[in-house]
Amino acid sequence: MIQIASNCVGCGKCVSTCPFGALSLVNRKAVANASCTMCGACVSVCPVKALSLPASGAAKKDLSAYKGVWAFIEIADNGQKQFVRPVGLELLSKGRELADQLGEELCAVVIGDNIQPYFAELSSYGADKIYAVEGQGYHDYNTAAYANAMVTLIKKYNPSVVLYPSTYIGRDLSPRISSELFVGLTADCTGLSIQDGLLIQTRPAFGGNIMADIKCPDYRPQMSTVRPNVFKKVVSRPGAMAQVVNEPIAIPAQAGKVRIISKQMDPITCGEKLDEAEVVLAGGRGMKDKAGFEMLETLACELGGAVGASRAAIDLGLKPKEKQIGQSGVTVAPKLYVACGISGAVQHIVGMEHSDTIIAVNKDANAPIFNVCKYGFVGDARQILPKVIDGVKKAKN
Amino acid sequence: MAKNDLTTRNLMLDSLKQYAKNRISHEFIREHDAKNEIPLEILKEMYDRDTLGVHLLLIPEEYNGLGGQTTEIYRVCEQLARIDLGIATGVFATFLGSDPINVGGTPEQKAKWFKKIADENKLVAYGATEADAGSDLVSLRTRAERVEKDGKIVGYKITGSKMWISNGGVADIYTVLALAPGGPSWFIVEKGTPGFTQDAHEDKHGIRLSNTAGLAFDEVYVPAENLIGLEEGKGFLQAQAVFGYTRLMVAAFGLGAGEEAVETALVYAQQRIQAGGPLAQKQGFMLKLITPHYVRFEAARAYIDWTAKQLEVNNHGLATEGAIAKLYATESGNKAAEDAIQAMGGFGYTKEFPVEKIKRDVKITCIYEGTSEVLEMTIFRGRWQEHLKSRGQYYIKQAEEFEAIHAKNPNVGADSVALGFRALARVLEDCRAQKLTRHQYITFMLGDLISEAEVAAVFSHQCAEGKITEGSRFDLNTLCTMARVNARLSAFKIATDGMKLILGVGAASAQDLSAAVNLVGIEEKMTGLITDEDAVSAKLREIFKA
Amino acid sequence: MNIIVCIKQVPDSTQVKVDPKTGTLIRAGVPSILNPYDHYALEKALAIKAKTGAKVTVVSMGPAQAVAVLRLALALGADEGVLLSSRAFAGSDTWATSYALAMTIKKIGQFDMILCGQMAIDGDTAQTGPGIAYHLGIPQITFCESVDSDGTRAVVKKLIEGGHQIMEADLPVLITTTMPVDYAPKYPSFMAAHKAQDKKISTWTEVDIQADPHKLGLEGSPTRVSRIFPPAARQKGEMFSGSAEEMAAKFVEILKKESFIK
Repeated sequence: MIQIASNCVGCGKCVSTCPFGALSLVNRKAVANASCTMCGACVSVCPVKALSLPASGAAKKDLSAYKGVWAFIEIADNGQKQFVRPVGLELLSKGRELADQLGEELCAVVIGDNIQPYFAELSSYGADKIYAVEGQGYHDYNTAAYANAMVTLIKKYNPSVVLYPSTYIGRDLSPRISSELFVGLTADCTGLSIQDGLLIQTRPAFGGNIMADIKCPDYRPQMSTVRPNVFKKVVSRPGAMAQVVNEPIAIPAQAGKVRIISKQMDPITCGEKLDEAEVVLAGGRGMKDKAGFEMLETLACELGGAVGASRAAIDLGLKPKEKQIGQSGVTVAPKLYVACGISGAVQHIVGMEHSDTIIAVNKDANAPIFNVCKYGFVGDARQILPKVIDGVKKAKN
Repeated sequence: MAKNDLTTRNLMLDSLKQYAKNRISHEFIREHDAKNEIPLEILKEMYDRDTLGVHLLLIPEEYNGLGGQTTEIYRVCEQLARIDLGIATGVFATFLGSDPINVGGTPEQKAKWFKKIADENKLVAYGATEADAGSDLVSLRTRAERVEKDGKIVGYKITGSKMWISNGGVADIYTVLALAPGGPSWFIVEKGTPGFTQDAHEDKHGIRLSNTAGLAFDEVYVPAENLIGLEEGKGFLQAQAVFGYTRLMVAAFGLGAGEEAVETALVYAQQRIQAGGPLAQKQGFMLKLITPHYVRFEAARAYIDWTAKQLEVNNHGLATEGAIAKLYATESGNKAAEDAIQAMGGFGYTKEFPVEKIKRDVKITCIYEGTSEVLEMTIFRGRWQEHLKSRGQYYIKQAEEFEAIHAKNPNVGADSVALGFRALARVLEDCRAQKLTRHQYITFMLGDLISEAEVAAVFSHQCAEGKITEGSRFDLNTLCTMARVNARLSAFKIATDGMKLILGVGAASAQDLSAAVNLVGIEEKMTGLITDEDAVSAKLREIFKA
Repeated sequence: MNIIVCIKQVPDSTQVKVDPKTGTLIRAGVPSILNPYDHYALEKALAIKAKTGAKVTVVSMGPAQAVAVLRLALALGADEGVLLSSRAFAGSDTWATSYALAMTIKKIGQFDMILCGQMAIDGDTAQTGPGIAYHLGIPQITFCESVDSDGTRAVVKKLIEGGHQIMEADLPVLITTTMPVDYAPKYPSFMAAHKAQDKKISTWTEVDIQADPHKLGLEGSPTRVSRIFPPAARQKGEMFSGSAEEMAAKFVEILKKESFIK
């Protein structure tokens, strides 16, 4: 349980902050009950610093030896060509900012086969150095092989920050590494910054309706995963070339215990992939049924976009889970985002707020979605959309 | 095998909720309600032992059932009522229909019929009511004539008719009350027995998803082994032995249906913006249409659960307690559904929302298994005896008990409970002295006041013991606040209604009587009532978010 | 064959609400459920049990009330349950949680396959499964839509960006499952719920699993929540209302103006 010192003045600030209702005032002193999860949310609000978590047991090692911001660059293969998954460039762009603030170097870590062609691009996004682990055996992602390579590099060079994409690969790889290194790993960060030399990792927490800042004061490296489309890509060093450090690392025998038998890519229907589309139309509970979503599909075809859905619509079975936009689904940042019948819970907003132009249609004038949109229409999307489709068709002719 | 524990009960309820979520939508119910049609396939699925097997709760383990305790049966009833009271009634009819076998059957009869019901998912109906014999079974007309062979009774020929029998048109097995030469007796009659026919399904005000039909018996022959208990004349006793228990189940129906209606209205009111804010934020709206109902629901839940736990120890009996539970919970549920419509305004009046249907449905709970008026009589008779036997001390003693509770725990309204008991004792005593109970109306009203007092007492007592009734969604602090509100209002009602009765027909000085029931003392306890109610409203808004 | 399924009790996310004034979570009266991803993983394990006769053991770390999800799992067909419960685990992040669960699995001893839901709906991290696999020193395959085994190896359909892979693994292996669209979790019949009471649930603490106390709870958790705060308030956009026709016309006009109609 959280520790409460005797200098508590009974102001009650911690009571209303506790996400678990574990604190109350008894005789004008804060008291914690068994619901306390020691999340630490109350510690920072106490004006007299009466609240504290029990001391960490981490061996106090010399953290100053850890330097450098790393971004794990995912090399993808869609069956037709191999390429750098764009989220890697987003990580480098953010990583550049962090490295500058820390006064440390930014390094891209690339594992794969035939990867030299990407080095120039990675350099232009700000990498000072590229650690390259190359070999045929690394062509397809393998947990054991990649984790071994990453752990070897981290142990050798001691970075202070390592960023991973929150992709299927990044989410498979990063916890394996954090477990082995006994370091923290914060999933799906929506914000990263430096404060007093520490990485502040911001993400929605406790079900996605409040934001939490998370840090790992006593462990290095500090590791985070970040969703695609959360950070903007910025070419900060056009034409520059990073120093390339080739690291030959043998693939461990354990890698052979898991084998790929076949690989199949989903056919891309009308529009594009949700996280890469320039236009995204999303439907929520207000679209009511499959017929409602058909309207969105039709408009998406007209505008050359993809269709996604809020968690509420996914729960109603109106769209498959992989089309969910939001904290527990896909993050998108298209040029145009149209939200239809979506009220705009925080958990949805964090998945689309970086879109350039947001149009929202909702019956409830007080729906929070209207607070993030550029244009808001108060009305029933099911009535408005058919007429918009007609209008767009006419405009195209 | 062990009796079901709380975790198992909650698991059963989760299964039931999940099943309803997947299979019984509001649209499905609405459609069947409009067509006046029983969803037989749903009942069959609910009886399927691999899907749910709800009916197995009623059947002892040795006969392939799971020997449910009263607590899980009432909680299942409450949940069923939240899904649909018509479907609930269909399930309940099987519970009820099996009961005469449970109470009076021989081991061989139990083995034969329970196994059949358990293994073959049979629907059962309870055939007691007749045109002239409703809650009053004395005027029973259906006859059972002995059929003798070689001087031995080999069977019976049943002739007569039954009306308003739940599952009447769809059951496979019927337990039928008929007058044998030795007195009223229960018989088991199977569907398809020659001479046994079922009438058309009734067109009812509510519970339209339950099948209700009359039964006609024209010299229907049943073998002597189908006489429950193999002894004539035990019928009434067997019927009455289970009233405490069956009425508790209907009490849970009233509770569940009422909760569903008010919860629908409250969730709606959290979203409905009127005059710049959600309706649920408005004090008048909450205190008039929502909050008082939750107070009564939690009082009813505490009382039902308390009675259930008593029944688990005493097995049968507790007729007065069962009647109190049913009267209180069903009347509360009925009024709550009415207010739920009001709370939703025009939306509540349309069929798009479930509340108008619940309002039509829940009314039956004030009628079947004993009308509210029959229950008031039952309650009055039961406690009047206690009052007389104890020379007026019955409620005085309880008042003293609650004064002691209040001394230890001043937060549960035990002081008001005690004041209510003292006022009640005084009212009963005046009625005795002036022989006012010759007025039937007064006996009804006394039954009502007794139920108010006793429910308030149990609720307050449970809170004093720090007990959160299982199935409640509130924390102890809120329940204590509710108990305080409830005890104050109940004491006030006892004092003022009691005075009204005595002054209305008897001779007394209003001033003396008011002093005798300590009306001012009761009124003084009203301090802080609205503050407490507002606190409950705040909690309701927190728990039942849109 | 021995299968272990790790399950978690979580607040029903569709019912967790936030107080608009304080921005804190309202957990009052929110029912708890079995994390749906774990529910699906359990169903997969039970399907393998039906085919191979495997023994299925369910493990959960949580407060005493978490016994409810173990009971649910037993009612659905799991053979045995272990509840890992102690104040020593309070404050655990995913590192400490996966360590504790791995130690529990080591104590159980025999395992050929470990199944976990890909993530818990109250945390969304998807880290615990891989963490357990590391601590046990076994391979993992994450985000699997289907899992099958004949008792000698595992075959899965794993999601990847924009498609899927069919993969196989030697045993023992840890597999995390996603869940399909329209997944409706199975619930037991009343009789199954009743009979599950007779199945064994062991309750273990950090002592039973011989865990290193420095790797448990807050002490074993590298991450710290330093601050929580409500999301920043935003500016309302340009708003339109009126008839559907009027609004549709305005809508199309905006699409043209912003040159989205090509």
